[in-house]
Amino acid sequence: MPETIALETRRLRKQFGGLVAVDDVDLRVQAGSFHAIIGPNGAGKTTLFNLLSRTLDPTSGQIYFKGRDITRLPLHQTAHLGIGRSFQITNVFPNLSVLENVRLACQAVQPGSFRFWEDHRRLKAVLERAHAVLEQVGLAARAALPARALPQGDQRKLELGMILAPDPSLLLLDEPTAGMAGEQVPELMELIGAVQKRGGKTVVLVEHNMNVVMRASDVITVMHQGARLAEGTPTEITANPAVQSAYLGELYGDLGATQEDA
Amino acid sequence: MTPATPSTRPALPGWLSRNLGPLGGLLALIAFPFVVAAQSGDSPVAVLTNESGNAKFYQGLFIEVFILAIYALSYDLVLGVTGLLSFGHALFFGMGAYATGILIKSFGWELGPTIVAVIGIGVTQALAVGVVLPRVKGVTFALVTLGMASVFHIVVQTHELSPWTGGDVGLQGLVPPAILNPNADRLRFYLVSLAVMVLAWLAYKRFVDSPTGRVCNAIRENEGRALMLGYNTFVFKLIALTIASVTAALAGSLHALYQPIVSPNVASLSFTVAALLMILMGGVGTLTGALFGALAYRLLAFFLDRWFGQIADVLLGVVYIALVLFVPYGIVGTWRRRRGRGA
Repeated sequence: MPETIALETRRLRKQFGGLVAVDDVDLRVQAGSFHAIIGPNGAGKTTLFNLLSRTLDPTSGQIYFKGRDITRLPLHQTAHLGIGRSFQITNVFPNLSVLENVRLACQAVQPGSFRFWEDHRRLKAVLERAHAVLEQVGLAARAALPARALPQGDQRKLELGMILAPDPSLLLLDEPTAGMAGEQVPELMELIGAVQKRGGKTVVLVEHNMNVVMRASDVITVMHQGARLAEGTPTEITANPAVQSAYLGELYGDLGATQEDA
Repeated sequence: MTPATPSTRPALPGWLSRNLGPLGGLLALIAFPFVVAAQSGDSPVAVLTNESGNAKFYQGLFIEVFILAIYALSYDLVLGVTGLLSFGHALFFGMGAYATGILIKSFGWELGPTIVAVIGIGVTQALAVGVVLPRVKGVTFALVTLGMASVFHIVVQTHELSPWTGGDVGLQGLVPPAILNPNADRLRFYLVSLAVMVLAWLAYKRFVDSPTGRVCNAIRENEGRALMLGYNTFVFKLIALTIASVTAALAGSLHALYQPIVSPNVASLSFTVAALLMILMGGVGTLTGALFGALAYRLLAFFLDRWFGQIADVLLGVVYIALVLFVPYGIVGTWRRRRGRGA
């Protein structure tokens, strides 16, 4: 059944001069699954993420979303297909209120953005949806604050709220817990997991810290030097000797270091 | 639900008390010519019959303020609301001024068709400038728009066009139509330009609070994110630019009707900088600030010139630097911050 594949890449490649950052990657993400992409620094996962989210153009290869070729689709149109994405660096509208940030995210996928003669509050469905999303991510009490005034952890929640607001079927998340205090990480991961399970959404999550994705993931793809090294369930990945010998030790070593820092 | 959003805020006692400031200001401006006449011992009737010299003079000064305010308002939409750094805004104003002058003087057009043509020119020039929008951003956009305005500034001064534009001397000899003649009926021109300013301000207020205006705000804040959310930011920037261009062209139209001469300087960089100074003084992105900025700009120039003569320009520069240093949010911006309404 082709419908069960939400996102697919065929021989996807990105070269920066002589450097091959993503090397002919074939990726298949099952609809409704939680799919993590992990790898050490320099494995090419962020480049792959930027290709999937259409902020970078690939050198060659194709990307399909629900069977449709989106390789050359303009960035602003992908949101209307139901693709939401967040980035490692918090990327909000700093001087607009928390509510307005989420409201704009809702408005983007609904009709009415060109009603320049009307007050924006007349778009009632958009406003209600924005309030509901703020409840969902736990920011309702801070709706009126400017986004820049939020602490880092809350900014990550706002970021998630902005992705959830248009109710996308595919969530692309690049290290959503980056910069969060250690104790907040499970909370956010649970929130993402709950949203995914309840809404039957597909999640593609790029992560450096393997520990974060072990519990939530259905499938893990391990990237190494721009290519796909292994793929399987969390148990299979941990047990995979190739993964282990290649660099799992390095990852866990890294993990140990960050835990000591925290 | 949060109590902090405007939609759920408890209703204030009536529309009137909420709009007391703007209404009071409007009434004061309508009464102003009569007050000036009374001050100088003329009867109010003299204002209506265009016979009070002092009232005529101060109405003239305020007509200039209104025209500058409309022009500054349009620049605030481009720079303050949408975040487009344009150094060619004077082109929009200059086009409106020259088109009005040439159509009425050289082609004998009536006022009505001229205004329609100016609106058409306003839309066309915005689309022409907008063509470069997807390719150039930030400072590059500033330079490209500066280049376009400079070309216009040079072209209107060329000898070949001087039968129409008046060359480097400027366009003179425009006889304003009887229906809107600032010399024959100063009060009417005063009220018409006041009305245009108020209507533009109201329309702009509504626009920035509309779904479209909110997207323009988002573009100013973070265009990349607006794009990712699914907004075709190019279209929104073009809308803002078009509205601003039409508004500035209409201000230019009033300028051509009011002034005895349209100088090529209305298309110069210094006239764009004037718009920038006005919204800096009033408060960038506040819209209302453009009106206060225009008032401060014109009155400062007028009184410094009257009191200090030749060194007025130097003093003006000092005042601008002081204002930017000590009142960085401008008149309206600072006022709003004091009242705790945020940026």
